[in-house]
Amino acid sequence: MPKVSLNAPAPDFTLTDFKGQPVHLSDFKGQANLLLVFNRGFV
Amino acid sequence: MAQLRHDYSEFVSRHAQIIIIGPEDAAAFASYWQQHDLPFIGLPDPKASVLKLYGQEVNLFKLGRMPAQVIVDRAGIARFVHYGHSMSDIPANTEVFALLDEINTPTGA
Repeated sequence: MPKVSLNAPAPDFTLTDFKGQPVHLSDFKGQANLLLVFNRGFV
Repeated sequence: MAQLRHDYSEFVSRHAQIIIIGPEDAAAFASYWQQHDLPFIGLPDPKASVLKLYGQEVNLFKLGRMPAQVIVDRAGIARFVHYGHSMSDIPANTEVFALLDEINTPTGA
């Protein structure tokens, strides 16, 4: 399974948020640091 | 998630946005966000496309996906990658803050 490499460009992606707005990782470039949290489920 | 919520202002002060990506659908995200009053961006990924792209591990014996965290700096570079090996294998916020402080420090300063 591929994994993200440290100190390399993070793979860009597009998903729709739960409010229906498209979110591109690249939208944040130059704007904010990001903490991406890959959740295992709401429990 | 509760710890991230509790310390959210600390993330904001470090110019960091929190994005939660999970396998549930939009309705489950909306319900959870409303219930917990979360300020984060919530991205449902029921097809697990990004979860797979980022290599989130599935542990069949422990019945689910393991938690993972990635810090991406403003240049789009992955500066911290952590793949959990158990449900509770999540870095402390203090560790994340230290990394963000390092990222926010101009080179050569």
